[in-house]
Amino acid sequence: MTRESAFLKDIQAEDFALYEAALYLNGHPTCPDALAYYCQQRNKVKEMKEQYESTCGPLTIYGNHDQNCWQWVSTPWPWEKEAN
Amino acid sequence: MWIYDRKLQYPVKIKNPNAAYAKIIISQLGGPDGEMAAAMRYLNQRYTAKYGEIIGILNDVGTEELAHLEMIGAILYQLTKGLSPDQIRAAGMDQYFVDHTAGIYPASAAGVPTDMKYIGVKGDLIADLNEDLAAEQKARVTYDNILRLVDDPDVRDPIKYLRAREIVHYQRFGDALRIAQDRMNSKNFYAYNPSFDKGCGC
Repeated sequence: MTRESAFLKDIQAEDFALYEAALYLNGHPTCPDALAYYCQQRNKVKEMKEQYESTCGPLTIYGNHDQNCWQWVSTPWPWEKEAN
Repeated sequence: MWIYDRKLQYPVKIKNPNAAYAKIIISQLGGPDGEMAAAMRYLNQRYTAKYGEIIGILNDVGTEELAHLEMIGAILYQLTKGLSPDQIRAAGMDQYFVDHTAGIYPASAAGVPTDMKYIGVKGDLIADLNEDLAAEQKARVTYDNILRLVDDPDVRDPIKYLRAREIVHYQRFGDALRIAQDRMNSKNFYAYNPSFDKGCGC
């Protein structure tokens, strides 16, 4: 497993936990424990994604940080084995 | 994966409900050249589109079509909100109402539910991109026809925006077709491409 794909796997796990908390909050919008977890997890995911994009390439169409190259079309797509 | 962005791509604010307009505009939700078919066409074609630039165009136009599906949904919702049964009957929306009430159900103006038979995924770049170019033109004509039938400026404004996007998408698919053709064997005059699919016998 490459460094990029190991990092991406960590982001997938943390992002999933954040999404799961958000789904739960839709039905429990005043739950203090869930809100505290959401805030903490959101910051963690944000930092990880920023670090990934600055070193490995964009995660969204707005995350291309290379001023000389549109990496959006040159890095592997999520459905390719190389990206996983 | 996708993340939902909690805004419309372009605002929709319709003061006067009008079920007769909703009855025709619904075709851009679930009709043969509607936004649902467009999103499904590009997002399913992208896997085998071979070149990063072309995959990017299919991915990002397909994603934008989902935003257009939402704009059409917003237009239909606002056009049918708070209508009385008499108003629904007078506009000829009663046949839709009996099955769906004021719910937003992807169907054509003639009431045919949306169908993946509206799209093509051939797994061949030249075939798929030509389908996409045609699809954008057909959607543009449908918006032209809606503009011929709708007078309310509140409705025309977002419809004009969506019509303009069809033209831009046609240009982007033109880029994609040029990129694909530039990478074909230069001795191939006929826009089929043995190098994409070796061993097909041609």
